[in-house]
Amino acid sequence: MVEIDAAGRTTREVNRAIRQRIAESCKEVVLRNPGARHNLAVAILEDAHIRIAGSAGYYCGGLIDGPSIEVEGSAGWGLAESMLSGTVRVHGSAGSGAAAAVRGGTVVIHGDAAARLGVSMKGGIVIVAGNCGYMAGFMAQKGTLIVCGNAGEAFADSMYATVCYVGGEIANLGTDAVIAPIDAGEAQQLEKILSTHLPATLRSTKPAAADFKKVVAGRKLWNFDKREWRTWQEAL
Amino acid sequence: MAELQNSAIFAPRVIEEIQAKAESGLYAIRGFGTLRERRWPTFDDLTFLPCSLTRIPLEGYREKCSTKTVLGTRFAQKPIQLDIPVMITGMSWGALSYNAKVALARGAAAAGSSNTTGDGGMLKAERDNSRTLIYEVLPSRYGINIHHMRMADAIELTIGQGAKPGTGGLLLGTKVSDRIAEQRDLPIGVDQRSAARHPDFLGPDDMIIKVEELREATDWQIPIFIKLGASRVYDDVKLAAKAGADVIVVDGMEGGTGASPAIFQEHTGLPTLAAVCEARSALQDIGLYGDVQLIIAGGIRDGVDAAKAMALGADACYIGTASLIALNCNKPMYEDDYRAIGAAPYACHHCHTGRCPVGITTQDPELMKRLEVEDGAERVRNFLQVMTLEIQMLARSCGKSDVHHLEPEDMAALSLEASAICGVPLVGTRKVFGH
Repeated sequence: MVEIDAAGRTTREVNRAIRQRIAESCKEVVLRNPGARHNLAVAILEDAHIRIAGSAGYYCGGLIDGPSIEVEGSAGWGLAESMLSGTVRVHGSAGSGAAAAVRGGTVVIHGDAAARLGVSMKGGIVIVAGNCGYMAGFMAQKGTLIVCGNAGEAFADSMYATVCYVGGEIANLGTDAVIAPIDAGEAQQLEKILSTHLPATLRSTKPAAADFKKVVAGRKLWNFDKREWRTWQEAL
Repeated sequence: MAELQNSAIFAPRVIEEIQAKAESGLYAIRGFGTLRERRWPTFDDLTFLPCSLTRIPLEGYREKCSTKTVLGTRFAQKPIQLDIPVMITGMSWGALSYNAKVALARGAAAAGSSNTTGDGGMLKAERDNSRTLIYEVLPSRYGINIHHMRMADAIELTIGQGAKPGTGGLLLGTKVSDRIAEQRDLPIGVDQRSAARHPDFLGPDDMIIKVEELREATDWQIPIFIKLGASRVYDDVKLAAKAGADVIVVDGMEGGTGASPAIFQEHTGLPTLAAVCEARSALQDIGLYGDVQLIIAGGIRDGVDAAKAMALGADACYIGTASLIALNCNKPMYEDDYRAIGAAPYACHHCHTGRCPVGITTQDPELMKRLEVEDGAERVRNFLQVMTLEIQMLARSCGKSDVHHLEPEDMAALSLEASAICGVPLVGTRKVFGH
């Protein structure tokens, strides 16, 4: 394990130092004094654990493929955006557009997520232990989005094939979002995901998997149909 | 009997459109770009003023006239170096066939130019056949892949498109084949409506951080382009420059598209001629003209249009529709197949149907075979080379040893409006009107 002190260094210097340490076969890097600065640990493509000892700004862990990134504080907008694989865990809360356009991997947020969680996500698993803001899952295409607490307005609006689960209340569903039943097999799978990715102390405070609401696309927006013009009018 | 007269307001075409909407419940979607007669000033409203006694021309076929084009000198460690100032714009694999994408890549490479990926990401064959490949990062983020980004020679962060600024891409279900669906992480056959906004930033201040992220992801090596659909060009260009763009692309309303609501193509955005003038003014007013390179796009047809755009301030031009026409778009062949989709040679704008008779804008394997990659690449190369020769001919006649030395002073306006927009004198006068 090596430590990098971000204090007094530019973001470019910090990211280069992280990459250099990983290239030197260091499997664990701790970043001290991150100062909530933007663009930390972006585009890391190796299997390594990067622990950010504090909060991070925008796009932390964006465009990564493979590493495990842990933010001990909170994270700004676009957490892990466009990630291909790996894990990004935030102990605090995350700003808007967390897990935007991710194509794989796992994003875990122990606190709350702001608006547009999982927007345009194309794969992977996104878990929020707390609540999420409005338009979570907007235009989401594939993957699994789980909110253990309450979901804000326009939840799962205009989705394709992402499957969402909400443990608390949903302020209201977005256009073309529908509630679907959860069968025993799915509940078992959901429980496995939650118990794998959430610390036991956190998992124990959340609803049982079978009590989650499942939300999927109603598929009315998948192809234009004039008989559904009101849905389209509202969607557009 | 009184003479029968059509209404000029409710002309036969308008009546047909209203009745079609009434019967179908659908608004018109099509491809290609604006079909309107252009009643606004265009590059045709300008004429070059070659040398006579006041200027000395270069020998047309003998003296050197450089076409080397360097883009991305502001911040990138490795600016793009092209042999010619005409580039192939971003068009997606999905809107275009696999063969069309590869032919464009190979043709552009043979001419010493670049091509651009498009919505849906990078094809391996596209990378393999390109000399200089620009990787588009679009609001949809379809196919976004850091490994591909790092294989690119530049990144283009696309905010909008000239044919349809303020809205996202559109790919109707007939073209969302199994391969396209897999590439874009979509269900097969959906009408894919891309996002209009990027998922992880909204305004220009956020975009500054986004640009930094892209630079960090590529170690500040390659240029970052920011592409704008031409609307409030003057302010948008200043904001893009502030965000840290190395190169700004402005795509005028004459730009093409594979599919969009017809009203966007006909009634939104600024014409390309006006767009290049506003963009140049914006960069001059913030002291970055020359430091930030400018690419102009939107309805560029030949070397004449390109030369005029460059004289007005562009460092290079993108072509899209013209490059597809070089690949045989709208050529009179397979005429029964044009008729089958309600089109005809020279009047086909049916890219959205996926039934392109000449194999360019289709995912149908049989139709795609009609575009042979090697032949297509040869035509694209020839066309790019001829465009370049045309630019050089005009530049030499204006006494320029480098096509980038063309300037507004080399031209006069053929209309009052063009004089006011371009800041060049009206022919027959020595006045710049409106200034």
